Amino acid sequence: MNPEAPRRRRHRSRQWHRWIGLAAALPLLWLAISGILLNHAATFGLNDRMVTSGWILRHYNQIPGGDPIGLVVGDRVVAGWDGLVFLDSKQLPLRGELRGAAALKGQLVVATDEEMGIFDGSDELVLQLDELSLPGVPVEGISVQEGRLLVSSKVQWYRLSEDFFTFEEFPGIVSSMPPDLLEANLRKELAEAIQTRRAMPLSRVILDAHSGSLFGWPGWVISDLSALGLVVLTALGLRLFPRRRS
Amino acid sequence: MLLTMKPTILVLAIASKFLRLFFMTAFLICGGSALGAPGVYQKPSDFVKSSLGQIPATRAITLTGAQQTRVRAILGKNYKSKAIRYWSAGGKTAYILEEIGKTEYITTGIVVKGGKIDAVKVLIYRETHGGEVARDSFTRQLRGVSLKVDSQLSKIPKNIAGATLSVRALTKLARLALYLETLK
Repeated sequence: MNPEAPRRRRHRSRQWHRWIGLAAALPLLWLAISGILLNHAATFGLNDRMVTSGWILRHYNQIPGGDPIGLVVGDRVVAGWDGLVFLDSKQLPLRGELRGAAALKGQLVVATDEEMGIFDGSDELVLQLDELSLPGVPVEGISVQEGRLLVSSKVQWYRLSEDFFTFEEFPGIVSSMPPDLLEANLRKELAEAIQTRRAMPLSRVILDAHSGSLFGWPGWVISDLSALGLVVLTALGLRLFPRRRS
Repeated sequence: MLLTMKPTILVLAIASKFLRLFFMTAFLICGGSALGAPGVYQKPSDFVKSSLGQIPATRAITLTGAQQTRVRAILGKNYKSKAIRYWSAGGKTAYILEEIGKTEYITTGIVVKGGKIDAVKVLIYRETHGGEVARDSFTRQLRGVSLKVDSQLSKIPKNIAGATLSVRALTKLARLALYLETLK
């Protein structure tokens, strides 16, 4: 038996302990501090504080990507952004890419490629129509002529009945207003409104940063490696604990 | 004897390599699936066609103030639209209803026959968790269920751990469909 062996092993353990400790120090410190904050979230008022940072909200997929499009109907602005639809910056319960909007007998009709919503004067959704009730999807555009709603699908215009449930082919010439890129000031207003409305509670952000999920898989990997590092540090610490023989 | 044993640190180091690999793979797979597109189980038009044998003309129930109050009692809030569409044929009525599970709408097809639920199917599930409600083993529990005088179901479906909010949403939609059936 080599009498130097235990000493060398001890030295190696100390080296591992030092470097693993150094690498895991920051993540472990964060885990410890965020853990304490989460345990006392109510005391610190973290549930009431809202995070509006665009950078953070983008991680929660709360900020749409790409460029918003829109059109003005009377004094209302209807916008579409990344599959979401907004009316004066308020999100509408419609899905799909905005195709058009039109005023019809005191109501507002908003169409996406997938569905169409009819909203009353108080912006409440009166009726939602989809592939089951529309002449065809994807919807390409909408228009209003002589008080009736026209819907374009598959290069053909259809005239809908008063109750919107039946339709017939419309052979006439139809002019419709497709949505265009939103002006810079309207885009800014919309982005600000989305950020304010979709703010996340600080406690939720800290919880997700604590688990690492806020940063996607790299965050999870760092969290797991830190946890594993802690296990290894404990084992190494126990190994170094016995007193050295004199 | 101690010296002949494999050093604990070595065992841990080897184990941690495998663990790291395992966790990284697992999280990559789980992370990828969590960010996936909504689960479309069946197109609403296919559901209506398969349930009723055809796609009948669309009809709608426009809720009055008093009816909205009843709906609010069932859902805990107003339904997303004032008018709710339905399709009827052969004594059956199909409803395509939507309710939020946790943050996203769950699109559900419900067929009612003779005041009882004939079929329930989750058509589009957009939540990241709780998709177990789309399984037949859950929706089967709602078949034959009717509405009691207090607007509760005659038989409450069993909860699914981890899918409580989705179970609640589907239960509410079943109650709503049965209530709408009384308004036709």
